[in-house]
Amino acid sequence: MPLSDPRKAAAFRFIRAGYRDGVAQLVYAFDQGSELVERITFPDAPVLPPEREAAFAAALKLLHFVAGVSYYKAGVPGLIVVENGEPDTPTAQLLDALYLHGLGEFAYQNGLDLREHIRFPRAGTFTPATALGLPARSLLPIGGGKDSLVSAELLRQHGENATAVWVGNSPLIAACVVQTGLPGLNIRRELAPELFEYNKAGAWNGHIPVTAINSAILVLAALLYGYDSIVFSNERSASSATLEYDGQAVNHQWSKSWEFEQSLAAWLRSHVAADLNYCSLLRPLSELAVTRLFAREVRYDAFFSSCNRNFRILGPRPADRWCGHCPKCHFVFLALAPFVPKPRLLGIFGRNLLDDDTQQQGFDALLEFHGHKPFECVGEGRESRAALYALSERPEWREDALVARFRQVVLPQLDAAELDLDALLRPAGPQGLPPRLAGIPDALC
Amino acid sequence: MNSLDSAPRAHAGWIVVKFGGTSVSTRPRWDTIGRIARDWHAQGKRVLIVVSALSGITDKLKAIAEAGGDSERRLQLKAEIAARHEAMFDELGLADRATLQYWLDRLAALAADTRAETAELPWQAEVLALGEQMSSTLGQAYLSAQGLTTRWLDARQHLLAQALPNQNAWNCYLSASVPTAPDAAFAAGLAAQGEVFISQGFMARNAAGETVILGRGGSDTSAAYFGALLKAEKVEIWTDVAGMFSANPRIVPSARLLSRLDYEEAQEIATTGAKVLHPRCLNPVREAQVPLVVRDTNRPELAGTEIRASVAAAAPSVKAVSERRGITLISMESIGMWQQVGFLADVFERFKRHGLSIDLISSAETNVTVSLDPSENLVNSDVLSALAADLAEVCRVKVIAPCTAVTLVGRGMRSLLPRLAGVLAEFDLLRVHLVSQSSNNLNLTIVVDEAAADGLVPTLHAALIKTEALRAEDPAVFGPAWSELYASATSRAETPWWRLRRDDLLQMAAQQTPRYVYDLATVRERARRLRSLAATDRWFYALKANSHPSVLQAIADEGFGLECVSPAELERAAALVPADRLLFTPNFAPQHEYAAAFGLGARVTLDNLYPLQHWGETFRGREIILRVDLGTGRGHHDKVRTGGAGSKFGLSLDQVEEFRQLARRFDVAVVGLHAHLGSGILDTGHWREVYAQLAALAQRFTRIEAINIGGGLGVPTRPDDAPLDLAALDACLVEIKQAYPQFQLWMEPGRYLVAEAGVLVARVTQTKRKGEYRYVGVDAGMNSLIRPALYDAWHEIVNLTREHDTADTLYQVVGPICESGDVLGSNRRLPECRDGDVILIAQAGAYGASMASHYNLRIPAGESVV
Repeated sequence: MPLSDPRKAAAFRFIRAGYRDGVAQLVYAFDQGSELVERITFPDAPVLPPEREAAFAAALKLLHFVAGVSYYKAGVPGLIVVENGEPDTPTAQLLDALYLHGLGEFAYQNGLDLREHIRFPRAGTFTPATALGLPARSLLPIGGGKDSLVSAELLRQHGENATAVWVGNSPLIAACVVQTGLPGLNIRRELAPELFEYNKAGAWNGHIPVTAINSAILVLAALLYGYDSIVFSNERSASSATLEYDGQAVNHQWSKSWEFEQSLAAWLRSHVAADLNYCSLLRPLSELAVTRLFAREVRYDAFFSSCNRNFRILGPRPADRWCGHCPKCHFVFLALAPFVPKPRLLGIFGRNLLDDDTQQQGFDALLEFHGHKPFECVGEGRESRAALYALSERPEWREDALVARFRQVVLPQLDAAELDLDALLRPAGPQGLPPRLAGIPDALC
Repeated sequence: MNSLDSAPRAHAGWIVVKFGGTSVSTRPRWDTIGRIARDWHAQGKRVLIVVSALSGITDKLKAIAEAGGDSERRLQLKAEIAARHEAMFDELGLADRATLQYWLDRLAALAADTRAETAELPWQAEVLALGEQMSSTLGQAYLSAQGLTTRWLDARQHLLAQALPNQNAWNCYLSASVPTAPDAAFAAGLAAQGEVFISQGFMARNAAGETVILGRGGSDTSAAYFGALLKAEKVEIWTDVAGMFSANPRIVPSARLLSRLDYEEAQEIATTGAKVLHPRCLNPVREAQVPLVVRDTNRPELAGTEIRASVAAAAPSVKAVSERRGITLISMESIGMWQQVGFLADVFERFKRHGLSIDLISSAETNVTVSLDPSENLVNSDVLSALAADLAEVCRVKVIAPCTAVTLVGRGMRSLLPRLAGVLAEFDLLRVHLVSQSSNNLNLTIVVDEAAADGLVPTLHAALIKTEALRAEDPAVFGPAWSELYASATSRAETPWWRLRRDDLLQMAAQQTPRYVYDLATVRERARRLRSLAATDRWFYALKANSHPSVLQAIADEGFGLECVSPAELERAAALVPADRLLFTPNFAPQHEYAAAFGLGARVTLDNLYPLQHWGETFRGREIILRVDLGTGRGHHDKVRTGGAGSKFGLSLDQVEEFRQLARRFDVAVVGLHAHLGSGILDTGHWREVYAQLAALAQRFTRIEAINIGGGLGVPTRPDDAPLDLAALDACLVEIKQAYPQFQLWMEPGRYLVAEAGVLVARVTQTKRKGEYRYVGVDAGMNSLIRPALYDAWHEIVNLTREHDTADTLYQVVGPICESGDVLGSNRRLPECRDGDVILIAQAGAYGASMASHYNLRIPAGESVV
């Protein structure tokens, strides 16, 4: 039976969530439509110790709510119904914020206003969680890009007991995990197949806060396998908005922002376990500071990719990993360039993006020269400007087409005081690391 | 066995034979060495055997040399090396272990030496030399025990290394050079001692009597040194491949064995890419005028590649095409005065200052561009940045990288230029940064962007053969193709159907020629072969390839959909398959054709903004497939490339966003993405790339259900083409499918299904002799089969009447059309032909009858089915 268009639905229903033998099942529906079942599989899952059961139940509930965003967005109905126990007020507030901001770009792209739609029902109170005595070790999610690989190096040098974890089936990430030398944990996630049918039937589609979903999955993993820290690799620029739309700040990477990190970390301490840390190792660092750290290590050169277009495929040639046309390719190329010998950089990408006139628009967007920052996880405009300025001073770069153009056209319009690369390399701003990891970014000053 | 009558005379010549690591690592391999040495000895020659270390041993010795203060690791490695040699000793069934024990004791002493802590260079050289000392010791004992009295020769006593200017200490000890010239006294002295000798590759001594190492390719070089010293009749390098090839066989399976090269050509090929021989070993044999032969230990019946002085009379030919990747170009624009004195000196001094060695150079009045080979140093240090800063004092610098240098090698390159026109056309649309041609007339090097260089060498190799710039038919220079020699997996064992049905075909020809004959069993077999692929969800047949009703019916019966490009094709297809199996993929079609296709219920593909911009209402509310141009075309000929800005097909990627907006305006759902970049492609990586790029692009849309990666599945034409590896294709498609399970995978082959199923039979009309050329005319011309004229396509041609006669006459096979391009095949060996003979042109099932015309008002060939 073909599925009806979810855009016509009146309500989105959270039906039930369960966990058995390493598999979490999350069930949703639009109105009285067919049940949408998502499955998360934890490999070789141990038996859950009894003292962690309550925490696990709270975490599973969170995952149910958070992962629902993939389905909710297909129809964005005005009513959210929770049938297996409505959240307490702080939880409902966390979810309202996540759905509203996490779907900000989605709303902008589809011309929707979700402020009137997103309101989780709320009921009851909660008992503050206690400490569970979780083992002092870290889950480090690996994305295949430079950031998490920098974290892997930092944690290893620091002697932290860490496990590299990734969600999904990406040969590229698996290859990067092998390169880290850390033990690996691969969690599988299967979306409800009906979602694809809904898409065919004309459902709303677009960007979702996938880092929030992965975070909620890793909370279950931490309780299941015994880790007291979930260490992401989100950096400072993840907190800055991409653009303003209808009075709202829209941030492509909202679920990687400090605001979300802080609120989820606080919620986990109060609702799941007082000794569970949710943090980002690279939070005080700029993108440029991260690329400078990445440049120290050559072992990932032939494996990593930050490109969101080609990232699923692992191929032997640079063009298999880097499409060379998207904002991520442009930014990572530019941000690595000041710190990496030119032949090494060109070897990583297989081509010179800055000596290619057809890439001009892409780089202009990074510089925020004509137009807004792209909807991608890329650094701030001033980072791109400072990096390009640094290259324009270097003889081996300055004759390249787009570097030469920068000198002639863009540079005269910029404030020279804003172009200091060193200023952007200093750690700054808040961070939420547990004491045993807090010294790592400080040591990079 | 030795016998008195085979014993060499006093002036018997020397043969040096060299064997690498894998050749000395098992007892059967040593038996092979013994057999080869004994054969030469039986022919009255003196034999010097040069050996490498057992496989893997040099790496372990290197690890000891680099272990530094880690004495535990050194002891561990020492134990592994000792155990390997003990095992080899046992395998060879040797009795007296005193000599081996001597070397094992040396190993133990060196591994425990205090010099290990600081990795002193003389100590490292001694450690590294042990591998060959032990393998030659085992070999001497074994060969002697087998009845071939073999004397052990210490290479260090005879090879004296000489320090070169600018050579640092590391090079002096670990990459030494030995000046050699024929030394009659040495040869006579050795001859007095015996007839068969074994010595070590890779090592020599220095003036102070210390052990030194020859570095990379060292064992081949040792053999060359000994060959020069002894003024040997021949140096044979026995390895695991038959010799040097006209291209790297791993990327060009049809690369031809090079039977004969001169020293300079071999040097050039070895330097520009071939790995089988280290370029260093050629200079010693060239100076001493000693021939060097590369041969395959496993295939001793093959003559291999013989390298010797050039033959003056040889016709010029390209011998090989090779590539070097990771090249960096430095382009320097002078900023000084015109004809500035000393500019080049200023520039080159700076390269020397930074220890960078220049390879290619090209210059103009105000510019000089040089190339740097890839090196660790460039990638891992700031040397390039420092060099650029220094160069900026005297010129404007531009660094161009990464580049690939493609080199054609062959003596007399300049006289080949006219033939190269068609070959150089392959560089169309590529960014060429530098062209260099040395005055010794041996090479032509073209440097291009590395990103664009994939697939270039196979294409160039094919073009070189096609234009006969590479005279593959000259047996004096070229041997068999690599795929014929080695690739049993890719060999085409199948007998074509038309050979089995020769009598039927002759009978049909007796009734009427010219005519196409299609074998439906072959069509069905090809269709089933494709259907067996796991990755592809739906198949469509591009019916423009062959739209004969019986052929279409057979394909439709196998479950294929039909891909149509015109209303008439749609009409024919709609009679055979339901609407959901109809695909309409026209190009520059008028508005009403789209409306008609929707009316038939076909899936419609758009590849332009124009239809939505101007006739949006025709598409309102419809589902369509978008054909994009991924930017680069591929294929066997310019005219079949359907990608790249120069091609009329597909929407440019930079217009995709605008297309989406237009689609949204008219509520058009883009449910599929399609790209088709060319035809006749045999490299599976091509579809992997198209699939990956389309799937990545599909993520920017919300309703995509299917990815259509087109067709272009190649059919091998020439006898030495490797067929498309369908299993490999499936494997790489499955890999991408796993990453994008949400999209169906569609493919739409045409030629693959029908090309081999069809033949064109014709009869000989007349023959003609004109100068050196022999022509045979047939009653089928370009009006029946235009592919040779249009695409330079190669079709196998046989004289079916005289199938079993020797094909000993070189013919130009031509048709009756008044057009000089009416040539069906040039330079074909056929039996002597007579009028009335039935000539068969194979692989004519695709784009034969469907492209036929009435040019000259001649009726094209009819069609029959068997």
